[in-house]
Amino acid sequence: MRFARSTGIILVVLLALGAWFLSLGSSEGQQPPPAWKQGQPPELANSPLAPVPAPPTPTPAAKIPINKVKLPSGFSINVWADGMNNARQMAWGSKGTLFVGTRVAGNVYAVVDKSGKREVKTILKGLAQPSGLAFKDGALYVATIPNLVKYENIEANLDNPPAPTVVYTFPPRETHHNWRFLAWGPDGKLYFNMGAPCNICMPPDTHANVSRVNPDGTGFEYVAFGVRNSTGADFHPVTKELYFVSHGRDWAGDDFPNDTLHHAPKKGLHFGYPYCHQGDTPDPDFGKGRSCSEFAPPLLKLGAHIAPIGTRFYTGNQFPPEYRNRLFIAQKGSWNRSVKQGYRIMTVDLKPGQPPKYEVFAEGCHEGSTVHCRPTHIEWMPDGSMLLSDDYHGAIYQISYKR
Amino acid sequence: MRRYTVAAMGPALYTAVIRYWVLMLPRPRRITVAPVVALAIISTTTALVSVAPGADIEAGRRKAEACLPCHGASGNAITPGTPSLAGMPAFYTHWQLIMYRDGRRRDVQMSPFAVNLSDADMADLAAYYAGQTPRVRPVEIDATRAVAGRPLAQSLHCGSCHGPQLMGQNQVARLAGQDFDYLLKRLRGYKAKTTSDLDGMMTMVAQSLSEEDIQNLVHFMAGAAPTPASAGGDGR
Repeated sequence: MRFARSTGIILVVLLALGAWFLSLGSSEGQQPPPAWKQGQPPELANSPLAPVPAPPTPTPAAKIPINKVKLPSGFSINVWADGMNNARQMAWGSKGTLFVGTRVAGNVYAVVDKSGKREVKTILKGLAQPSGLAFKDGALYVATIPNLVKYENIEANLDNPPAPTVVYTFPPRETHHNWRFLAWGPDGKLYFNMGAPCNICMPPDTHANVSRVNPDGTGFEYVAFGVRNSTGADFHPVTKELYFVSHGRDWAGDDFPNDTLHHAPKKGLHFGYPYCHQGDTPDPDFGKGRSCSEFAPPLLKLGAHIAPIGTRFYTGNQFPPEYRNRLFIAQKGSWNRSVKQGYRIMTVDLKPGQPPKYEVFAEGCHEGSTVHCRPTHIEWMPDGSMLLSDDYHGAIYQISYKR
Repeated sequence: MRRYTVAAMGPALYTAVIRYWVLMLPRPRRITVAPVVALAIISTTTALVSVAPGADIEAGRRKAEACLPCHGASGNAITPGTPSLAGMPAFYTHWQLIMYRDGRRRDVQMSPFAVNLSDADMADLAAYYAGQTPRVRPVEIDATRAVAGRPLAQSLHCGSCHGPQLMGQNQVARLAGQDFDYLLKRLRGYKAKTTSDLDGMMTMVAQSLSEEDIQNLVHFMAGAAPTPASAGGDGR
């Protein structure tokens, strides 16, 4: 009896395998759709939703509707620098140069102070999505799709940058979700994302994580697993622990899943992708036979499709004291949602022993379907004010506080 | 292998076109590939022409006189190997000019020309061409190959970015009715990883294509009639 039953099971498995091979055979030649469209259910095949394209040129400062941005009392915003097409992550040089990365523009810019006037120079061109930047010991580190490179003694050679040296070569072949952020850890290591090369899929072992290397490219380590697409990270000013954001999957509904904020107090945690979304809901396909309890839950749900990106703790002295050590999260979405949401900056108050407090800091970057600005990355001015890049207008804004 | 010329339509063609393109019935062998009427009927896209802020179409018309010897009157080129720019989405033309100027896309004629263009020149030219009506290029289309190219284009999801009628949108090019030799050159270039690529998507897609696939796709695309209703639109 037992034998008969197990034979039956084996037969069923064999039949299923046969059907699987046949189905592969019949779909021969069928290519996966573009990564952003992958995972879209058939009933949404004609959805007009698509990622917002980067315009070919930056918007001149005078044409950016910056007055639409609403801030708490005492705060003001102005265009700090413009003319940097597709501006993304920023990094300060030690001599006061602000470096600015891009994605499809392929450029790296330098903003320098020239006798009291800000000047924008295009210092690098034609790179593969040089989104992530970091600076240390005179060298500019640039994360492109294929590798992490550095330009030594860059600030003395802005008009004629030296040839780069390759610090680390990323796992090959994947482009989608592999434009990167860079962040220095308290351990002196450089942290970056290697996103899932798809909307929803079983990612290669090398992808869907946050990882780190030493500044010389040695000592590669995975830090966090099961991370679909992290675009920003920072370390708590007091505990020195890693916090990072991640973008949830698309095409699963206007309000599901949430994009997320994660806390990784130790390395090696798995945050659920592609099995479990937002810590509590298994994926309809990849979640079968898995449980969300296997994975580290997010610290906070940030809203669906809002596309968190710039993620930085405030350590300056200009903003009122209640902002000190608060996490600021810039949100440049949504696109995969029938009614837009996001397009704002939020703060997260992480007081020990209390649930995180999630509050609006800046909003007004969209009215209905009209987008006025796209908050992208955050950097801090030496005086404690905020610099905010906008990769749609190709500009950097300054947000200041005055009592 | 029979070859047919894209030509004006008669009533018989109209019927054939409706049979094939609307009802998706098997295509009779002896027809030309010019489904203008049917595509106009099934095209329901109402799209806006998105141009860079401040672009001056009239200035673009004047500046485009320098491009006329190669790209033709109103951006409809006649030289094989040279793309028609009429009805190209403005973002597309603008990005390509930027890439020529930056050296990320290279061409013996275009590179020296683009070096001297300002951002405003590019915006004006792109806006002007986006507003021009694209015309199908005179070319011999192999009907058998075109028929084979259509499902291939579907399985490759070309329409996801290039639009259901392959008219392009935003930063993505119009393919419908584009020059045969130009399409061939670009697809072969993507496959060989020698053609400029804004975001890496086309290089990735082209890796799986055989020369046979490329031929079939190009016969299908060059023979597909451009639909002015969505010309230059962003459709999103």
